[in-house]
Amino acid sequence: MSMVIERSLKYLDERLGTASFARRALRKVFPDHWTFLLGEIALFCLVVLVFTGTFMTFFYNPSIREVVYDGPYQPLQGQHVSAAYDSVLRLSFEVRAGLLMRQVHHWAALVFVAAIVIHLCRIFFTGAFRRPREVNWLVGMALLFLALGEGFTGYSLPDDLLSGIGLRIFYSVALAIPVVGTWVTYLLFGGEFPAGDIISRLFVFHVMLLPALLIGLVVVHLFVLVLQKHTQYPGRGRTERNVVGKRFWPEQTFKSVSLLLLTTAMLALLGGLAQINPVWQYGQFRPFDVTSPAQPDWYIGFLDGALRLGPPWDLTLFGYTISEVFWPAILFPGVAFGILTLWPWIERRFTRDRAEHHLLDRPRDAPARTATGAAGLMVFFIMFLEGGNDIFGVLLNVSVEVVTRTLQWALLVAPVVTWLVTFWVCRALKRSRVHPARINAGVRLRRTADGGYETASLEPTSTPE
Amino acid sequence: MDLDDRQRGLGPPARELTWDQRRAERAAAVAFTVAILAGVGLFVVYFSGGQTQLEGVLFCLALGGLGVGVALWANRLLGAHEAVEERHELTSGAAGREAFEHALAEEVGPTLARRSLLVKLLAGAGGALGLALLLPVLSLGPAPGRTLKQTPWRRGSRLVDENGTQITLNSVPEDGFITVFPEGHAGSADAQALLIHVPKGELRLPADRLAAVPQGTHVAYSKICTHAGCPVGLYRADTRSLLCPCHQSQFDVLDGAKPFFGPAARPLPQLPLGVDDQGVLVALGDFYEPVGPAFWDRGKP
Repeated sequence: MSMVIERSLKYLDERLGTASFARRALRKVFPDHWTFLLGEIALFCLVVLVFTGTFMTFFYNPSIREVVYDGPYQPLQGQHVSAAYDSVLRLSFEVRAGLLMRQVHHWAALVFVAAIVIHLCRIFFTGAFRRPREVNWLVGMALLFLALGEGFTGYSLPDDLLSGIGLRIFYSVALAIPVVGTWVTYLLFGGEFPAGDIISRLFVFHVMLLPALLIGLVVVHLFVLVLQKHTQYPGRGRTERNVVGKRFWPEQTFKSVSLLLLTTAMLALLGGLAQINPVWQYGQFRPFDVTSPAQPDWYIGFLDGALRLGPPWDLTLFGYTISEVFWPAILFPGVAFGILTLWPWIERRFTRDRAEHHLLDRPRDAPARTATGAAGLMVFFIMFLEGGNDIFGVLLNVSVEVVTRTLQWALLVAPVVTWLVTFWVCRALKRSRVHPARINAGVRLRRTADGGYETASLEPTSTPE
Repeated sequence: MDLDDRQRGLGPPARELTWDQRRAERAAAVAFTVAILAGVGLFVVYFSGGQTQLEGVLFCLALGGLGVGVALWANRLLGAHEAVEERHELTSGAAGREAFEHALAEEVGPTLARRSLLVKLLAGAGGALGLALLLPVLSLGPAPGRTLKQTPWRRGSRLVDENGTQITLNSVPEDGFITVFPEGHAGSADAQALLIHVPKGELRLPADRLAAVPQGTHVAYSKICTHAGCPVGLYRADTRSLLCPCHQSQFDVLDGAKPFFGPAARPLPQLPLGVDDQGVLVALGDFYEPVGPAFWDRGKP
């Protein structure tokens, strides 16, 4: 056995020179902190998505040809549905393990975007995007957009009523693009809504174009990561010139493999037990039907909320119209994601810091950055809440108008308050010199002979407060 | 820092296992056994017809057992061995860059400079080909033209419901409403309209538009929200208002379907109606304005 391995290693090394590379790879050092696993969770979700998604393509039929449903789900028997919707029902009810695959896929998509967003927050709040990692920040942003695109195109494929309405809204937003909106929309959809080609086009985007870009950029993302080596939190023995942590083999490999397995296990549990997107309850999409309440998947929630919050202001300039949809659904995300994408350069304009950084900031170390990030998150959070204004109205027993008006005011006030409070907290924490990661050694109390108490420090070096 | 494999728990143990390690080893063994059993369970469930919830739980146990076992192995049996790796210089340095610039100036530049006419033609050919290759994009969709500004409604189009049944004045009770289409276009996305039967004398419309409301009671508006295009599916008879369930725009039915709350900026376009000699409701023409959400040249003829 070992002879075989030895000979095949020799064979490969003599042709590809793999041995020294593999030796270095095995000894690569990974920082040992849980926040470095967030990106890995996203990567593992992508693995699950590729496997479950490939399984589903063997059954899914991206066609709006009308068929009569005659499967086992009684409420829909005899109804005219599209071949796409029919194939999703068949996958769910007639293919063994089909429903599990579909639900795991959907849950994995939700966790995928969530892991990306939390990973992005970690990178942002610790300043990991600073030189020399601006390039990988851009790649990461592109990955976020691709993940959102994957989510939205996949969500629309079953051709059910809920996703069809989402598609209708997307079409309306695309129409609102100034000057070229109608052309862009017609080229994308193949004509006026609901043009017959859109489902098959979404399918090609979802299973070919976007995944190819996504996987390609993931490779670039990881390649740059290896090239530049990891950042690390400051600590004993950690400098700008080294990386302290665990080697790829064995510690990091064991850890990553177990994380892959546990991530997949959780997705399997969710997919098995937690029903998601029961398209048979929504029914076939028909352009004149609508459901209520209607919420998209969580990561589109902010955009739906922005549409609900938006002011009813349309604008006519020289006879041309700028839709009221333009402000919340095109201008706002354009500006917000534009700022986020360009953040490494925006921050540099203020800090004038052009040095290389491999040691991470604690959020408090950069109060203005942390405050801006927190305020930005607050904006998205309020819009996300507004995306469920009808549900909150019912839950809180107030009218939807009250929820919307409240959140409109909150959108004006809360981000400013968040910025100021975060800034103040960061500065106060910085002054206090409390370190969350350093274990407080505490003090030992000693009782004196006359019955009083005095402190006896455990660490002779520590300064008494 | 570089430790012998044996000390890392990979090879045969160099020393006796501690009580803690033995316990971790047992726990990992239990986890792997659970994974084996769950894997076998998946076989059984699959071949006995499949059951989504059981599949999910067993799949979770199989993967989770493996994951927990590996995690125990990693955290308890490998021990914590901190390693340090030195960073390398990312830049090629001034000398490296200079060498490359030199190579550019000496090797790339002159090769192209010698044939400057050919280079220009090459760029031209590349550009022309690039533009030509962009053209198939235009095949992806028709020109918008006037399609967004008109619907299948024509003067004399009879009103039908989604099943194609003709609509008369008696089809809708007072404060009732129904989705209507032009005959021959039942289910049409852009022609869909709401016919609402309001009490007599309540409508506040300009005289010419009121004249297109049979008996002053049967008024029809486009069902497509002027905000983001959802069907305006909810009618509140108490306030005589239409509510779009997508983004909660609300329209006053009695006042020309003008929006009074929410993000919509424009009223739902009205469909002029009349009654033909057989008592069937008919359109007197297309909607007064383009239906649905706004677009760039909406206001142009």
